[in-house]
Amino acid sequence: MNKNILTIGIDVGSNFVKTVLVNYSGNPEVLDKHTEKIRKRNPSVVSEDMIVSMLEKNNLRYEDIAYLASTGEGDLVKRKRGHFYGMTTHARGANFFAGDTKTVVDMGALYVRAVKISENSRVLDYKMTGQCASGSGQFLENISRYLGLSIEEVGDISLQAHNPEISSGICAVLAETDVINMVSRGISTPNIIKGIHLSIAGRIIKLLSSLKGESPIMLTGGMALNKGMVQAIEEQLKETGKNFIIKTNPDAIYAGAIGAALWGGYRHIRLSEKTTTLSV
Amino acid sequence: MGVKPTQPSQREGLKQMQVYKNKMDQQKIQNKKTSLPPLGGGGTAIKENSMILQKDMLAKQFNELSRAKELGKKVVYTFVPGNLTELILSFDLLPVYPEINALQSGMRKKSAAYIRDAEKTGHSEDVCTYVKCDIGMMLNGNIGPTGEKLPDPDLLLLSYTGCFTFLKWFENLERLYPGVPVAMLHTPYQEDGKITDEMVQYMVRQLETEVIPKMEMVSGKKFDKSRLSEMMKNSAKAEDLLVKVLESAKRKPTPIDAYFAGVYYIGPIFTAFRGTEAAVDYYTELWNEVQERINLGLGPVTPEGELNEEKYRLVVEGPPNWTHFREFWKIFYDIGAVIVASTYTKVGGVYDLGFRHNPSGPLESLSEYCMGCYTNLNLPQRVSLIEKYVKDYSADGFLINSVKSCNSFSAGQLMIMRQIEQRTGIPVGFIESDLVDPRYFSYANIKNRLESYFQMLEQRKIIMTQGV
Repeated sequence: MNKNILTIGIDVGSNFVKTVLVNYSGNPEVLDKHTEKIRKRNPSVVSEDMIVSMLEKNNLRYEDIAYLASTGEGDLVKRKRGHFYGMTTHARGANFFAGDTKTVVDMGALYVRAVKISENSRVLDYKMTGQCASGSGQFLENISRYLGLSIEEVGDISLQAHNPEISSGICAVLAETDVINMVSRGISTPNIIKGIHLSIAGRIIKLLSSLKGESPIMLTGGMALNKGMVQAIEEQLKETGKNFIIKTNPDAIYAGAIGAALWGGYRHIRLSEKTTTLSV
Repeated sequence: MGVKPTQPSQREGLKQMQVYKNKMDQQKIQNKKTSLPPLGGGGTAIKENSMILQKDMLAKQFNELSRAKELGKKVVYTFVPGNLTELILSFDLLPVYPEINALQSGMRKKSAAYIRDAEKTGHSEDVCTYVKCDIGMMLNGNIGPTGEKLPDPDLLLLSYTGCFTFLKWFENLERLYPGVPVAMLHTPYQEDGKITDEMVQYMVRQLETEVIPKMEMVSGKKFDKSRLSEMMKNSAKAEDLLVKVLESAKRKPTPIDAYFAGVYYIGPIFTAFRGTEAAVDYYTELWNEVQERINLGLGPVTPEGELNEEKYRLVVEGPPNWTHFREFWKIFYDIGAVIVASTYTKVGGVYDLGFRHNPSGPLESLSEYCMGCYTNLNLPQRVSLIEKYVKDYSADGFLINSVKSCNSFSAGQLMIMRQIEQRTGIPVGFIESDLVDPRYFSYANIKNRLESYFQMLEQRKIIMTQGV
């Protein structure tokens, strides 16, 4: 019998579903992880398929999992045992990456959230980008598609820029018009992409400033893997004169799923304690 | 398996609750039989007696309006904030409130087409959508919310309070109804945060020299001050009852939702019924229902059912979105959030601060009423009022629904939010939508934003009980 407390975290986003398998016993560790693009499929079906394949790959049965926790659009995960809010899971995930994290910037497809957290990964305060989409990963993906690039390429291309052209930082539609105009003016692709990154970074800095975010800052979500984005945030932060430490992690996209799996483990133990107390 | 109560008082309480629940079930069956349209469109909504009473009142009102010409009644178009309903009714004139028609069109999913038609005639996207919805409705035959035609106005009474768009709105109506007289009543803004004697006299003079003479001319009747005073006795009675209803939300759990259900509660008193016996009857019935809920310790009634667990108590600033009213409400219901106080339910009078219509000085009283409405307060007054609500109603959070259309509400809201955050320390939230233009209601965006906000409220509760 497996004495390890195994948990699964599943984060259903608007573009991707992310799953992780975590061993919660002792020092928690991530045993397996997987990302799947939804691509016009039913996210509920995608989620279920991912759970099944993760179990099969690791020779596990559903019953071996102490807690299956969802986050994001968790209503779509039929076999979940519990659901955790996105902000709390990203906070926990960021804390897992670096225990001294004081602020988390969750950069997802639809919005960016800056979250101030405690040592125990409790959410203390947060700020979120406005209704407009120009601060979001989906916007960046649309622009890269327009420029004929894949989203994976834009980070490296941005690092090649020498004279970035700044676009509208307020409105996604205006920014797209700016980009079309830049292309016709012969602005190089790296300079356009870097300009877009700086514009998004400008909004993130504004969030951090109104939140009174503290260092170290952990970037999570899909956009955190984009080197150009990280560089733009660092540059903009330097301009404000603040000496913040910005951290990322190769598993940044899994921050929500990892956070869910860890909270799931925590809840499993609490529930077991309650059951034990009651049976006594 | 049920729990067996051991105490007689517990047994009695459960018995009462069962009687109440049976009554509500019967009510649901009756609602289905009478085929009442549910709130905002889909599904069958639970309705209390007071809601049915209000629906009957509105049906009679719109039926009378549709037959105004054959009944020989004259019609006044006017506005809700700072309205002169008792004065209008004292001349036997029938009031029509264009904002109410617009919001009703919004709830009945007709506003999008009306707004589009108004924009075709040259109104910009940035114009208030109440205005465009109303003008679009007129361009489409002026069919009111009950499906009956609204009569043309005999008088345009521009008694605007806190909203300068009203001026332009009636300039447009003047062109749509050429020759109809306009009576204008200027309400001084409370720039210094108080109502002075000079301001009252300024308004009374306008009533005596501009408004009343035009009403006499249109109605063919002499002004009857004693009749106006009599009506104001009814106004004050209904206002007392409304305040009791709204203040019941100080209890835990609150028996009412003071925003989503609150917009129904303010209906009669903010529109054509203030000063009537029908309004007093309505508020008596409503208060009885609320007392019954208090006695049984029940939470608010919502279209989805009773709210059984009050998880978060919120104060809300700004008007609701009308095109997705039920979906909007459901987001709060699903999470167990209830609105315990709102500023929108004060646009037609901040009665909970003590103002009552006064029969002994009716014109002075009407003047003070107009100047005291919520959007006529200056920003520091609004901040103080909201701060008071947060404290008096033990709120866990403060939320702003900033609507694109309404500058009277939206200007200054970010400052209000920061001030409330500093003064009270509770989590604040900000969402954006519109009154009746569905193009500005993004369900996913609002849900994302509200979910983040509710997460913050939950975390704060955990921190308050367990520490960081």
